[in-house]
Amino acid sequence: MLDTIGEMPPFRGPEAVDIFLTVNGQGATAHLPPHRSLLELLRGPLGLTGTKLVCNAGNCGACTVLVEGRPVYSCITLAVACEGKRVETIEGISKDGELHPVQEAFIDHDAYQCGFCTPGQVMSIVALLRAKGGAPTEDEMRRAVTGNLCRCGAYVNIVKAGMSAARRKK
Amino acid sequence: MAGIRVVKSRDEFEGEIFESLSIIQGSDLPAHAASVEFEEIGKSRKRVDGVQRVTGRATYTHDVALPGMLHARVLRSPYPRARVRAIDTKKAEALPGVRGVLHRFNSPKAAFRGEETIFREEVRFIGDEVAAVAADDADTAARALGLIEVEYELLPHVTDLEEAITDGAPKLEDGGNVFDAGSLKRGEPRQAFKSADAVVEGTYRTSTQLHNSLESHGAVAQWDGENLTVWESTQHVFGVREGIRAALLLPLSRIRVICDYMGGGFGSKGGVGKYSIIASLFAKQLGRPVRCVLTRHEENLAAGNRSATLQKVKLAGKDGRITAVDHTSWSNAGQGRWVANPTGPTNTLYDFANLTTKSYRVVTNAGSLSAFRAPGYVEGTFALEQAIDELAERMGVDPLTLRRRHAASQKDPRTTKTYSLKRLLECYTIGAREIGWTKRRAGGTRGSAPHRRRGIGMATQIWGGGGGPPAYATVHFNSDGTVILRAGTQDIGTGTRTVLAQICSEELGVECDRISVRIGDTEGPYGPISAGSLTLASVGPAVRLAARDAREQFLGAAAGVLEIRKTELRMERGHIVSKGARTPISEVSKKLENNTVIGKGSRWPNPESLAIKTFGAHFAQVEVDTLTGEIVVEKVVAVHDIGRIVNPMTAASQVQGGVIQALGFALSEERVVDRSLGRVMNADLEWYKIPTVLDVPEIVVRFTDRPDRRANNLGAKGLGEPPIIPTAAAVANAVANATGVRLRHAPMTPARVLEALAVVR
Amino acid sequence: MSLFSYAKPRALGEALRLLKNGTVALAGGTDLVGLIRSGLARPNALVDLTGIDGLRGWSREKGKGLRIGALTSLSELETSPQLRKLAPMIAESLRDAATPQLRNMGTVGGNLLQRNRCWYFRDEAVPCWLKGGTRCFAAEGENRYHAIIGAAECVMVSPSDLAPALIAYDAEIELASSIGRRTVKLGMFFITPSGRQRREHAIKKGELITSVRIPESALERRGTFLKAMDRKAWSFALVSVAAAARIKDGKAHDVRVVLGGVAPSPWWVPAAHKLLEGSALDDNSCLAAADVILGGAQPLRDNGYKVTLARELIRRALRSLVA
Repeated sequence: MLDTIGEMPPFRGPEAVDIFLTVNGQGATAHLPPHRSLLELLRGPLGLTGTKLVCNAGNCGACTVLVEGRPVYSCITLAVACEGKRVETIEGISKDGELHPVQEAFIDHDAYQCGFCTPGQVMSIVALLRAKGGAPTEDEMRRAVTGNLCRCGAYVNIVKAGMSAARRKK
Repeated sequence: MAGIRVVKSRDEFEGEIFESLSIIQGSDLPAHAASVEFEEIGKSRKRVDGVQRVTGRATYTHDVALPGMLHARVLRSPYPRARVRAIDTKKAEALPGVRGVLHRFNSPKAAFRGEETIFREEVRFIGDEVAAVAADDADTAARALGLIEVEYELLPHVTDLEEAITDGAPKLEDGGNVFDAGSLKRGEPRQAFKSADAVVEGTYRTSTQLHNSLESHGAVAQWDGENLTVWESTQHVFGVREGIRAALLLPLSRIRVICDYMGGGFGSKGGVGKYSIIASLFAKQLGRPVRCVLTRHEENLAAGNRSATLQKVKLAGKDGRITAVDHTSWSNAGQGRWVANPTGPTNTLYDFANLTTKSYRVVTNAGSLSAFRAPGYVEGTFALEQAIDELAERMGVDPLTLRRRHAASQKDPRTTKTYSLKRLLECYTIGAREIGWTKRRAGGTRGSAPHRRRGIGMATQIWGGGGGPPAYATVHFNSDGTVILRAGTQDIGTGTRTVLAQICSEELGVECDRISVRIGDTEGPYGPISAGSLTLASVGPAVRLAARDAREQFLGAAAGVLEIRKTELRMERGHIVSKGARTPISEVSKKLENNTVIGKGSRWPNPESLAIKTFGAHFAQVEVDTLTGEIVVEKVVAVHDIGRIVNPMTAASQVQGGVIQALGFALSEERVVDRSLGRVMNADLEWYKIPTVLDVPEIVVRFTDRPDRRANNLGAKGLGEPPIIPTAAAVANAVANATGVRLRHAPMTPARVLEALAVVR
Repeated sequence: MSLFSYAKPRALGEALRLLKNGTVALAGGTDLVGLIRSGLARPNALVDLTGIDGLRGWSREKGKGLRIGALTSLSELETSPQLRKLAPMIAESLRDAATPQLRNMGTVGGNLLQRNRCWYFRDEAVPCWLKGGTRCFAAEGENRYHAIIGAAECVMVSPSDLAPALIAYDAEIELASSIGRRTVKLGMFFITPSGRQRREHAIKKGELITSVRIPESALERRGTFLKAMDRKAWSFALVSVAAAARIKDGKAHDVRVVLGGVAPSPWWVPAAHKLLEGSALDDNSCLAAADVILGGAQPLRDNGYKVTLARELIRRALRSLVA
């Protein structure tokens, strides 16, 4: 027999439900129906518009944020599934008004053109640099942003910026 | 004010003359000599708006959120061609949160691009606007769309270019489906073909490319009494304003259009969209701000594309030269009223003595084309430059040598005007050296494994990029010595704010970080569309003159304040410099009120007797897996002749981006339409494949970097389009060199490579 | 998009009890959210499995093979150096699967249960056979990415990169429901839609995949995974090939060749495995096996290239086992 311990958790919704989570180090609350995405939660009620909506289908990476430290697509992540989790967005990585080394490097290396994919690219690289103790190889850097499309084609400088930030961080 | 004049200018592009009036005053400045050492110009400067872009604080149209804002969504035709008979919106209106529904039976008249209304009676492609809903949130609006009941009368349709030009195709317009879009005859091509040593003939195809700007088209509209403000992701705020005026018949003084940051356009955001009109109408009707932005799916149905083309190219050669050219092109314009010209490069790039070119616009029941970065030229160059390689091979001439023979002329073959500056041969020399052209072997070389073949190819680029009037700028001094530069242009991602700040700084003698650049707002001085590679060359010279005007006025004021003769003063790095003394400009400016010094500048006309063009050449090295059809582009050398480089770093970014976008066109990007359904099957970023970071080869960027001093007072020309033009052809020529097989259909997917290789085997 | 309620149980038993009619299990959501948005799934409730700890991670007991919990993220499998040593083909198959973000989100169970990517199937407005309609639009329509072999009423292809790799390791999956557990060979779990079976997986209502097991004997095999794409990353396979064999004295034993992207379910032909038993995997025998594997190929208007591609990838994958 299968285990039957534990109480039956209640189904919540489909009307709006309260969602508690941590965004950029601070507790956040929202009231949204379960079908709404983390991206909608961030851009709507929380007003964090740095994270962009492009494909809304997990095909482009513009909505990349970190959940529990790992990059995910917030457009296909349900907000309600982030209950109790740590979420980090582009607005949260600069501390006390000082840019994160990855952000600095993006400016130094002109690692953007229109800038719409930039927040997502930055988040993917931030996650890589945190995960890698040592400096990543260039191949690792490229692979870290394979899930972030850039239509302007700033890839060369994005990889350069990432590598430069990795060196700076050491 | 003294010395104001109105001048008419005539600029030629693709054989068409564009006339404009502009107001100028005083005198223009001569362009600096090549040898001048600058403080700012020619220096790699980080973007002045970099912090906004990397922190997510840059406000794009998508990010505009106003109190009480409603969200509009558009119901689009599910049929490629149908008559809208009736619309029932009762159920949609009953949905809680829905605030309004607009459609052809209840919408106020709003003229749009020559049509009376934004909701057509006959919808002509899947994605054509049928109705719109405004609701409290986008989710509710989307649900409401599903509740609108429309009665359609289906009509026969055709979406495919080659099907549309056949006799049996449904006729979509009174004149049929095929329309003349230009032709040119030069010399005696027929005789030249007859007397040729060698003739090559090929049919080329290019597939429909979708822009896929990451920020989709969209607008937010807000009324304040009789005044309308529209935030729109656009390449031309003034164009949007004019479009809104035409639709809503408002005085221009009551319309303000703002585009602070925009997430890519690539030509597709040239003017007002139906979404802007819909947002404005709803906002008026409902008394609340309204946001209407396209989904990715809508973006790929209804926001434009690079037309698919069918091209037939025939070249004749004799005595090692190209003696005759025949190039005919058909472009799938969808429902577009114009078409780009793929024969443009054939008409103007080389000194062909004998040629015939024809271009046709073909209407179909597919989404309309819109300009896409070098429209026509990317497609045409793909065909022409392959045909030249093929002829070179047939004649046993090195393909680069053959081109050199036809690229040296200093006269535009179309107008016979002299070029203001042309250093194409130098581009060839630089590119050939960087790629190692001398290592190129007929038949290619062995690659990294026996079944992998390596090859080298190249292709040439011509484009306009000279810019022109009208374009204006103002430079204001604040009382603390900081400066506000205003120009009604917009930054589509190229770094406009940064290069304008550099130009202003250089002329003014005030550092970049003290200059705020305000653009993307119709409250500023008029600026042209940011398209056609004309922003820098149009707006930059006006900025320079505005900075000069401000400097002269400021020095006049300083002369009074410091009691030194103006002729003994100059401005340098934020200081008034006189003999032996440096006074910070704030010392003077604090004695003046804000904005009492306002410099104005306008773009002077181009010299009418000269042809102003940009040139370049790309060299590509590829490795082809002959058993899997995989093309690996290993290296692209991009050399461009675009006059003076204002900011080498942002210029290099432009070139890399152009090459990468071109590689998408060359290798993987292709709109797929089911002909019988008329549906786009890959209106998404899953199956519509734009390049990823792993698709990027080594890219070497080089510029001739010589000022085009006869073009304008900066000696600079545009760079947006040039780097996307020759890449696909260079890659195709490299593939042909590697494998002996010519790929005449872009994109050159593994399927097409394998198919072509199978034919030879 | 349908509205649904949501529950996040902490234990498997709870989850199974909640999985009734109209409820659907949610793991990484990378496929399900899209299916719901496009109206292809219309659950009235989601049961989020990610709160269940026991289904995460992998383990190996000597002699008992490898066990991978169904909720293990793809990135965990891809990046584990120990697992790479034990069953290298798993990491190889995941390296070019989707993107880092999707591999962080996606789970093993979800990967095996993902639905096909046919653009007619995914287009809500197209009433294709698999969705209960009368015909397959791809068969006569735009089919460059579709099946060349083994298809019946529907010509979609199996999208998973992981599935062929696991099948080549003779993997089994364990399923649980409120009425009990069962174990199925992964190779038998995929269905070619046909007749009354308008679905891709032999999963029953209320069932969940709880784990994947690879038998000890299969871990002795060498493996190679190859994938052809039409750009260098982030593409479903045009063709993928997982090839595995135990190599002894330069001869191949227990050979497995499993293809993705060519048929409605992962494709293999036992006769080819037999043919290669004891072979030195020279070019000729590899190509002979490829011909057996692709013997029944019936390419559609636009996908003939896949036959060429598959034949070559089979050859390369097999050759690399002895290289």
